[in-house]
Amino acid sequence: MTNDLMLLMPLIIVGAGAILLMIASTYDKLTHELAAYGSAGIFAVAFLVQLSFCIAGKVAPFSEAFNGILVASNFSKAAGLIILACGFFTSLSSQAYFKRNNFCSSEYYSLTAFAASGMLLLTMAQELISVFIALEIMSLAIYILVGYDRKNVISTEAVLKYLMLGAFAGAFFTMGSAFVYGAAGSTKFVKIGQYLATNGMLHSPAMIGGAFFIMVAFLFKAAAFPFHAWVVDVYDGASVPVTGYMATGLKTAIFAVFANFLVIDGALQQKWITFLFYISVLTMFIGNLIAIGQQSLKRMLAASGIVHSGYLLIALVAVGTKDFTGSVIAFYLAAYAAGTLGIFTALSYLGGKGEARKTFDDFKGLAKARPYSAAAISVFLLSMAGIPPTAGFMGKFYIITSAINAGEVTLAVLGIVSSIISMWYYLRLIIAMYFHEAEEQFDEPAESCWAPACTFVLVLCVFAISLYPIAV
Amino acid sequence: MFADGLFIMFAVLAVLGAVGLVLFRHPMNGAMSFVVTLISLAGLYALLSAKLIFALQLIVYAGAIMSLIVFIIMFLNIQPDDLPKEETKLLYVLGGGILVVPIGLFLVKIVKSLPEHSTAIMGGNFGGVKEVGLLLFRDWLIPFEIVSLLLLVSLVGAVILAGKRGTTK
Repeated sequence: MTNDLMLLMPLIIVGAGAILLMIASTYDKLTHELAAYGSAGIFAVAFLVQLSFCIAGKVAPFSEAFNGILVASNFSKAAGLIILACGFFTSLSSQAYFKRNNFCSSEYYSLTAFAASGMLLLTMAQELISVFIALEIMSLAIYILVGYDRKNVISTEAVLKYLMLGAFAGAFFTMGSAFVYGAAGSTKFVKIGQYLATNGMLHSPAMIGGAFFIMVAFLFKAAAFPFHAWVVDVYDGASVPVTGYMATGLKTAIFAVFANFLVIDGALQQKWITFLFYISVLTMFIGNLIAIGQQSLKRMLAASGIVHSGYLLIALVAVGTKDFTGSVIAFYLAAYAAGTLGIFTALSYLGGKGEARKTFDDFKGLAKARPYSAAAISVFLLSMAGIPPTAGFMGKFYIITSAINAGEVTLAVLGIVSSIISMWYYLRLIIAMYFHEAEEQFDEPAESCWAPACTFVLVLCVFAISLYPIAV
Repeated sequence: MFADGLFIMFAVLAVLGAVGLVLFRHPMNGAMSFVVTLISLAGLYALLSAKLIFALQLIVYAGAIMSLIVFIIMFLNIQPDDLPKEETKLLYVLGGGILVVPIGLFLVKIVKSLPEHSTAIMGGNFGGVKEVGLLLFRDWLIPFEIVSLLLLVSLVGAVILAGKRGTTK
């Protein structure tokens, strides 16, 4: 069953589906709702296909024709599954969101699928030029989604900031690739690995500089310190489903390619460990500081996204280059994606028209009016804070044990400290929902049953993901 | 050495053009200064015996893309009064320059470490259309194909961000 074409099938389904949706959106008969169901269907089929194949080790589909540029492995499979699931839930939550907020056109869903195809390419690409193109496919689609609401000034500001800074990151990436090519004579990861194995990392300044610039680009996209400044504004300016998609799908793709790049060779990772160590510590604590000061829920979640990038960087520091499976990273990404997507899905139907409910205070007393939704949000928040028995706890547990196994005890302790600090802003929303009198009724009629249904499916996912390691 | 002289000339012109792009106040002057950079880059490609890239650089970048940029600037009809007052511009440029200096020194070190260069003309029709085409479709099929996806996304994006939205359905 697992031939070369099947390995690429999810990518082909999503890419072709995006083009189909794009063509179909020129017809008046295609309503937003139909487009939403269509894209959700595409994601669901691609997800099932991705789930169906099983591979051992690394397989390069069509290695003759494609020159071994795309490589599928269990890590890329897991990352792809997370991305496709994110796309599925984003489509359905957008459907509910756009019932209240009227700036949608059917191309929105086509762009979601385009972004997903770029992300899937990123997880598989093992060559710097292809990584760059895939990165740009994903980023361009996301830029447009961020700025979809043209009449909203905040959204326009967000897209301008993101576009400018993203272009810088892209330029850094290209320059880095050129230097790496200058040193190693190839942009393929395998060849770079061979070069590093024979010459070592410090042989040529071009290699050091190239790797540095490439890492700057990845750190920017992953919103790590000191390139985190754009995150809060951009997440705030984007509409709720898009923010959820950015926080989960995009981050998964970036960390997948970041891990793939770091494990090219042990020398590369060893040389950057100290650098990544400080970056991850600073990312966690600065993210926490920013999150504590926020009044707006969306901005708090954006800042908490920075903190989670910090945890993922711990995993990158601790990753072993021999027999790399990336299971810790993939598991954490899945756990984080379930929690974050869940809360954004809930916000997309609780946010009200024009995202009127923004701050912690606006959600006071939600538990009385909408007990089930409030319970679901509490589960997601507890998962993000890392309380057992949720997925977030297991994810953090794995990251911290892998850090200890790799001898990075300081990093593990700092990770735990940061996770305790982060309780402050997660619990704040729970307190607002449960221990305050309701100031409003939250009684606008539910216009779509899909978003609430997705929220509860994601609650199940949070528990299922945490039980998965026990079941296997 | 004639080729070395050419290289230095093109390199200096490319950097000067880029500096002009940053420093000129009116966008049209900036665009014109950018043309200098693009043409001197084409010269550098020619020195590397990259014939096809040299031609493409002139036709596509210095020709087509530049005329689009100029067209848009003219379309917006920017008068000197429309430009924002930039009294602190010099300060920003200086501050930015100081920030960039360490990176610049690092880059100089990298460039110095590169192996010896030669400007001799490569044999075997290096950089010709046929050779580049073979390389593109044999070794670089995937990047070549996924660029089409990238172009499609930017096309859809441009229509959405700038085009007329249909009536809501």
